Amino acid sequence: MASLAVDPKTRSTPPPEKPVPDRADPATTVSGVPIAPLYSGADLARLGVTEDKTLGRPGQFPFTRGVHEQMYRGRLWTMRQFAGFGTARQTNERFRFLLEKGQTGLSTAFDLPTLMGLDSDSPKSYGEVGRLGVAVDTIDDMQQLFAGIDLEQTSVSMTINAPAAIIMAFYLANAQEQGFDWRKLRGTIQNDILKEFHAQNEIVFPPEPSVRLVIDLVEFCAKDVPQWNTVSISGYHIREAGSTAVQELAFTLADGLHYVDECLKRGMPIDQFAKRLSFFFNAHNDLFEEIAKYRAARSLWADLMRNTYGAKEDASLKLRFHAQTAGCSLQDRQPEVNLIRVAYQALAAVMGGCQSLHSNSMDETLALPSEHAVTLALRTQQVLAYETGVVNTADPLGGSYFVETLTEQMRRQALDYFDRIKHEGGMLAAIGSGFFRREIAEAAFAYQKSVDSREKLIVGVNAFEEDEEQPLDILKVDEEAEREQIRNLNRVKKNRDNSAVRKALEGLKRAAEAKQNVFPALLEVAQVRATVVEAMDAMAEVFGRYEPGELS
Amino acid sequence: VTGNSPAPRVVLAKIGLDGHDRGVKVVARGLRDSGFHVIYAGLWQPVEAVVQTALDEDADWLGISLLSGAHMALVPPLMKQLCEKGLQDVGVLVGGIIPEADIPKLEALGVRAVFGPGTTIPEIVGFMRKEQAEPETDDLVNRFRQKDRRALARLLTLAARGQAVGATGDEASAKGRVVAFTGSGGVGKSSLIGRLVELLRAKDRSVAVLCCDPQSPLTGGALLGDRLRIAKGGGDPGLFIRSLATPGGQQAIAQNLDVMVGLLKTYGFDTVILETVGAGQGDTAVRQQADTLVVLLQPESGDELQWEKAGLLEVADLVVIHKADLAGADRVAAQVNEHLNLPGTRPIPVLKASAAKGEGLDQLWATIEQKSP
Repeated sequence: MASLAVDPKTRSTPPPEKPVPDRADPATTVSGVPIAPLYSGADLARLGVTEDKTLGRPGQFPFTRGVHEQMYRGRLWTMRQFAGFGTARQTNERFRFLLEKGQTGLSTAFDLPTLMGLDSDSPKSYGEVGRLGVAVDTIDDMQQLFAGIDLEQTSVSMTINAPAAIIMAFYLANAQEQGFDWRKLRGTIQNDILKEFHAQNEIVFPPEPSVRLVIDLVEFCAKDVPQWNTVSISGYHIREAGSTAVQELAFTLADGLHYVDECLKRGMPIDQFAKRLSFFFNAHNDLFEEIAKYRAARSLWADLMRNTYGAKEDASLKLRFHAQTAGCSLQDRQPEVNLIRVAYQALAAVMGGCQSLHSNSMDETLALPSEHAVTLALRTQQVLAYETGVVNTADPLGGSYFVETLTEQMRRQALDYFDRIKHEGGMLAAIGSGFFRREIAEAAFAYQKSVDSREKLIVGVNAFEEDEEQPLDILKVDEEAEREQIRNLNRVKKNRDNSAVRKALEGLKRAAEAKQNVFPALLEVAQVRATVVEAMDAMAEVFGRYEPGELS
Repeated sequence: VTGNSPAPRVVLAKIGLDGHDRGVKVVARGLRDSGFHVIYAGLWQPVEAVVQTALDEDADWLGISLLSGAHMALVPPLMKQLCEKGLQDVGVLVGGIIPEADIPKLEALGVRAVFGPGTTIPEIVGFMRKEQAEPETDDLVNRFRQKDRRALARLLTLAARGQAVGATGDEASAKGRVVAFTGSGGVGKSSLIGRLVELLRAKDRSVAVLCCDPQSPLTGGALLGDRLRIAKGGGDPGLFIRSLATPGGQQAIAQNLDVMVGLLKTYGFDTVILETVGAGQGDTAVRQQADTLVVLLQPESGDELQWEKAGLLEVADLVVIHKADLAGADRVAAQVNEHLNLPGTRPIPVLKASAAKGEGLDQLWATIEQKSP
C-alpha cells in the first residue's frame, strides 16, 4: 500500500542498499535502553538481586515471579478480546460469537460519543456513532448488549472512563432488573481518568471532579459489588501515546497511588479496596523489556502496599493485570506480518504473568477487525496456551541474569520517576504543568526519529519492503447503525416518564453539589431511563468542563 | 524551506472526537524541525473551526488527523467549506487509519495525500516540498478593502515576510485599540488573553490577536501553539487569530508587526491584542506598537522579584499579577507597587487576575479602557 496515496517514487527514505540491513550498534530496547552483550551473576550481585530477598517465589511477597503459586498450571489467563461496534444488538451478536469460539470473558468497547459522555443524537457525535465501539445511550442499550448472557457466570470488562460511573450504574441497574445478584457479578470497569489526562484524551470534567467520580464508584462497589474490579489502572494508552516502557510502568503505578491516597482520604480501609484495583499494561515488541516491566510492576506495587500503606491481606499486595498487545506496533504495510508481531507480544505478556490478555487483530491499522482476523488473534492465544508449553511451569524466566537485571533496573528507574512527580508537586500539579504529556511526547518523537533514520528497523516499513501488496478484506461498519441507534434513543425518550427523569437529574445535581457519593443518584438516573449526556450535563453544572490546553 | 524561500505555513488539527494525538504531535515536531511553521489547532475541532483556522492562519497546508473511522463523514463537509471560503489552494493532507478503499474517494474530494500509520516524517516532508502550491495573490488590496478575510490573511503573510502590501486604506482613521501583553514564559499570557477575548466577544466587540512564538535559529521552523489556548470553541468570525514566528535571538515580537497591526486596524477590528514571545527579557520594542502595554507577573516570582525585568516594568501602563489565586500574590503586588509608584511619578495600576478562576477580568479590561480611551 503506497504510503498510502503517495507515489512510492516520492518517498525520500533511501531504499536499503543491501538486502539485509545492518543492525543497530550498540543494541537498545524498543524504548532506547542500552543492552549489554552478556549478563551474568555479577550483574545480579551488583544490583543486590537475590532469590530470598528480592525475588521470592511465585505467589509470595513481593510477587516478582507471579501472583499465584501455580500460575498457569492452576488456571490459564482469561482470553478476553475487546469487541464492540454499531448498535447494542450488533455487539451482542459479536459477544455470543466470541463465547462460542471459546473466549472466556467479555470485553466491551464503547463508541467515541459514549466515551466522551455524549448521546448518539448529540451534534458532535455525527459520523462517530457505533464506529469504534458500541453506542450506549440509556439502560435499554445495556439490556440489549448483554441479552441472553448470564452475568453471574461471565466476567465482563468495560472500557470507559469519563462517564464510567454512569455506565456502571446502567450495568448494575440492568443486572438488578434482570434478577442478577450484585454480589455475584464479576468484571472490570476501566474507570481510570488519570491516564486520559496523560495520554488518551477522553476527558469531560477537570481533573479534580474527574478523580472524585472514580473514587465514588470505587467506594460504592467496595461495599455492594465486592467482586468487581473498580479501576483498571492503565499503562496501555500511555505506551500507545509513545512512552517508553519505564514511563508506562512509573506513570501507571503513580496513578494507582493517587487513587489509593484518595480512597484513604475518604476513610476507606486499605484492605477493603486495594484488592479490587487491577492493572492494564501494554505488550510491546521488545520481549524481555516487557517481561521485566510486568515483574518490576508486581514487586513495586507489593512493596508500596505493604510497607508504605500498611496493607495486611495478600490480595491487597498482588498486582493483577490485563495485557493487550501494542496497537501502535501494528503496520499497514504487509499487514499479515502483524500476526507475527502479535504472537511475540502475547508471549511476552504470558511469560510476564498476565491474568488476562487481548491479542490484536492483524487488520487493526486498517479498520475494526473482521471476524477472520479476530478469530486468528484468539487462535494465537490458544496456540500459546495449548501448544507451546510456556504454561507448564510458573515464571519460566525467573533467575535469568538478563531478565532479573532488567527487572531491577526498571524498578529503580520507576522510583526515580516517583521522585520527579513528587518534585512537580504531586499528581494533579504534574498534570497541570504538562509534565506527563511532555515526557511522553519527547519519547514518541525520539522513537520516530530513530525509525526515520533507520536506526530502528520495522519490517515492511523501513526494511524488507514489498512493491506490491495484497490488500486484506476488512470489516465494513454498517452506515445504518447511527440512524438505527438514534431511532432507538428517540423511542426510549418518548416512552419514559420525563418528570421522573427531571427529578432524578435534580437529585444527581444535588448529590454532586453536596459532595456526597453520586453513585446512588446515578442508579436512579439509570432506572428512569435518563441518557448519558443528560447525566453528564447535570454533573457538569457543578463540576465545570475540561478545556484542552497545552500542545506539549 | 531552504535558502531564502519563506517557511510554509501548516495547520494541523484533529477533527471529530478521537483523542489519539501521538501521530499529529510527532508530525508537528518533525515538520518544525524541517523548517515549517506549524500551527497546532488541537483536539476535538469542529469542521467550521478548522476551516477558519486555515483561513486566518493563511495555511499553505492543512493536515487533518483522524483515527476514528469518521473520515467519510467529516472530510466531505470540510472540503466543501474550504471551497466556500475560497481555500481551494490549501493543500489538504489526511493522516490516520484510513482503509485503502476510501483513499480514492478522499482524493476525488480534493485531498492531496493520505498518510497511514507507517509513514515516516521524511516521506511527508518530501511530498510537501515537491507539491507546494504557489498561493494566489490576485487583487489582494481591492479584496481587502471589500473586507475579504482571505485577502487580509494573505496580506498579513506578505507583511510578515517584509513584502510590500500596497495602499490598503487609511489606518489613521481606524479606531481599533491595540493592547500588548508581555511577561515571562509560563506566566499565562495566552490563557489570560483567551479570557479577555471571551469577555470582549460577549460584548460583541471584534478582536484580532497576534501571537508571537520563537522560531528555531537553526532550521527556521516553529511550532506555534498559543492559538489553542485562546480560541476555545473556534469558528467565531468576530475573532481573528494569527500565530507568528519571531526570528531567533532575543526578539519578543515578530518582524514588521507595525504593518500587521495597521492592516488589522484598517480592516476594522475593534481591538487588536499582541502577545509577545514571553522570553521575559527587557525587549521593550512592543511598547511602540501598542496603545496599552500590560506586563504580567506571577506570584512564584516571590521574594526575588526579578529586577532585571525592571526595564519592562518601567514602560508598562499596567501590571497584572496573574494566577492571583496562588499564594504570595498580595506580596508581589505590594512589592511592585512600592517599586513603581514612587511619589511624584505617573501612577501605574497594579491589578490581580486569574484566568483559571475567571477573576479580575472585568476590572482589568475596564482599566485598559481607561488607560487608552
